[in-house]
Amino acid sequence: MRKILAIAASALLATSAAQAAETVVWWDFLGGGDGVRMKQMIADFNEGHEGEIEIDGTTLDWGVPFYTKVQTSVAVGEAPDIMTYHASRIPLAIKQGLLQEITDEDWQTMGLGEEDFADSIWDGVSADGKQYGVPLDTHPIVLYYNKDVLAEAGLLDENGQPKGLDSREGFNATLQALKDAESVKFPLASVTADGNFMFRTIYSLMGQQDGELMTDGEFLVGDNAEKLENALSVLQQWTNEGLQSTYTDYPATVALFTSGEAAMMINGVWEVPTMVDLHKEGKLFEWGAVELPVIFDHPATYSDSHVFAIPKGNDMSEEKRAAVLEVMSWMSKNSLFWATAGHIPANSNITAMDEYKAMEPNSTYSSLTANMIYDPKTPLAGVAGPIFDVMSTYFVPTLNGEMDPEEAVSEIQYELNDM
Amino acid sequence: MLRNAKRETLIAYILIAPFVAIYGLIFVYPTIDLFFLSFQDAPLIGPGEFAGTENYERLPRDRRFGTAFWNTAYFVALTVIPGTLVALAISMGVTRLSGRVQALVLSLFFLPYILPVSVVFRLWDWTLNFQFGIAMHLLDIFGLDRIPIFKTTTWFMPAVAFVTIWWTCGFSILLFLAGLRAIPKEIYEAAALDNTSRWRMFRHVTWPLLWPVTGLVLTIQLILQLKIFDQVYLFSQGGRPNDNLVMVYYIFQRAFVNNQGGRAAAIAVVLFIMVIIISVLNFQLMRFSERRK
Repeated sequence: MRKILAIAASALLATSAAQAAETVVWWDFLGGGDGVRMKQMIADFNEGHEGEIEIDGTTLDWGVPFYTKVQTSVAVGEAPDIMTYHASRIPLAIKQGLLQEITDEDWQTMGLGEEDFADSIWDGVSADGKQYGVPLDTHPIVLYYNKDVLAEAGLLDENGQPKGLDSREGFNATLQALKDAESVKFPLASVTADGNFMFRTIYSLMGQQDGELMTDGEFLVGDNAEKLENALSVLQQWTNEGLQSTYTDYPATVALFTSGEAAMMINGVWEVPTMVDLHKEGKLFEWGAVELPVIFDHPATYSDSHVFAIPKGNDMSEEKRAAVLEVMSWMSKNSLFWATAGHIPANSNITAMDEYKAMEPNSTYSSLTANMIYDPKTPLAGVAGPIFDVMSTYFVPTLNGEMDPEEAVSEIQYELNDM
Repeated sequence: MLRNAKRETLIAYILIAPFVAIYGLIFVYPTIDLFFLSFQDAPLIGPGEFAGTENYERLPRDRRFGTAFWNTAYFVALTVIPGTLVALAISMGVTRLSGRVQALVLSLFFLPYILPVSVVFRLWDWTLNFQFGIAMHLLDIFGLDRIPIFKTTTWFMPAVAFVTIWWTCGFSILLFLAGLRAIPKEIYEAAALDNTSRWRMFRHVTWPLLWPVTGLVLTIQLILQLKIFDQVYLFSQGGRPNDNLVMVYYIFQRAFVNNQGGRAAAIAVVLFIMVIIISVLNFQLMRFSERRK
């Protein structure tokens, strides 16, 4: 009896597959303002491929929950056909055996290749000369600012950008002037309660001194420890002088800025849609976003990429795989709309378009693509990964003035090397 | 009627077979597997290599394990006995009311218990958030400094313990109320005739007769609080989770963040043994004090 049922079921499946469009099961972790844009893109794709390919999308919880679910689903063979991934987590994913390689043939089918992406982005999806994902974007952190408040305090230059972005003294002076003007509660809104988030800022400041987190498998070698200490000292100074918000978690940081209680904010480009939407509804002041100030030697900004990846652990038919490649190719070639989510499209043909260059504030900060630094390439790195986790523990007490930067660095060194 | 003992035994076995099978499959087998896993250098999913007792040997010098261990002990100390006393006090009060008023007051105290933990978290986060919490505005009014309650190690555990007692004491109150109602009125009447003071009445009538219920509440609380995870996880999100680690959280972190199934299993085994030892001790202690009476 069971056999008959099985045959009937498979026959049913086979016929429905032949008749209906190829369904591509899609998982992403895009729950914010960018998620709304992605749903729009999925809808557009489905409309353009009616009767051929249909994306069946699900949005899951960002971070550890998402990556845990991927791992378990691959193990039991229930993985989706396509998923979003962070480039920084690719080394770990390879170690866990989660991803299928994107072969040269695949790239040809998609009509994409190395020449379509910036080197740092291409490098982010590569390991041992193989590629494991199709980059969609790069999403650095930027400095948001309230034009109204800064203009009032006379702190905008002739380009309408904040003064003092070129040096530590200059930026401190701008912050101090905002504090003295007393028109806001905090000159800078900073996610000081969340060490995970602050990793991005602190790693950027390390990058500005050419600091390396990991050298040949060892952590904070040589003067890199000192560079980390310098980075922490800057942020602690801002706290000690009352220039930034303390013990502020992520949602509160955004709220401090959008409510006008903080004049500036360091946050990811993914908050751009929040600002755009609020501004459109007339609920937000005039605002802008620029590359992070140069506190040390030269500009550098931490960034990560959203990429599309094909998980292992599902027996994909040829047709299905072709459909998945079509999805990835289409998304990359139509990622101009994705830029409205604040992200910088990874496909350099898109960023070269005139329409992109006319987009604000994207084009103002897109100069930073030349100065991006990525996570060290190790299975220990990546958003919500072990390095993130260890460092974040000591960031919170340090940034809020409970712990000396020096002590924090020695603790971080001890724990990183103990992993 | 003649009974076929053999047949009855067989039927009994058949009837309990489904339960035994499921119990074996989803409890006994994974538990045994956990012990094996704890001796391996294994990832979260997939096979690992035998590593001897290394996973255990590193625990004493593992700082995070120390943090998790002492935080769990601290949390148990902050919740089990205080929570039981609070529930007892409230139920003593509620029992003196009657009719609709009693039902109303009881349901007010019971209400938090039916909330899911995520709602509890939201409520208290809104209340105590450093930048926007309602309580912080109160502090401002009185000219006091704001306190980042869930962001510093000093305040974190006491605050989570307080929230936990607020959240879970409704159930203990119900148990105590049932216990109080089971004490015969005559005993109180007799005591009243002898002009016994309120305190003596409590000390010599209510407390000893309520002891079985108190023991039950203490045991339930103890086991529940040793396994604390949800509240700590939620309240330390976006804060400093590693300073607020508790045992179950640490198991989660090793397994799901660091992808070290073997090390996570070793910690789980330690927690398992801890719970067994403490429960047995607790049970023996209860029996001992019972016998003394």
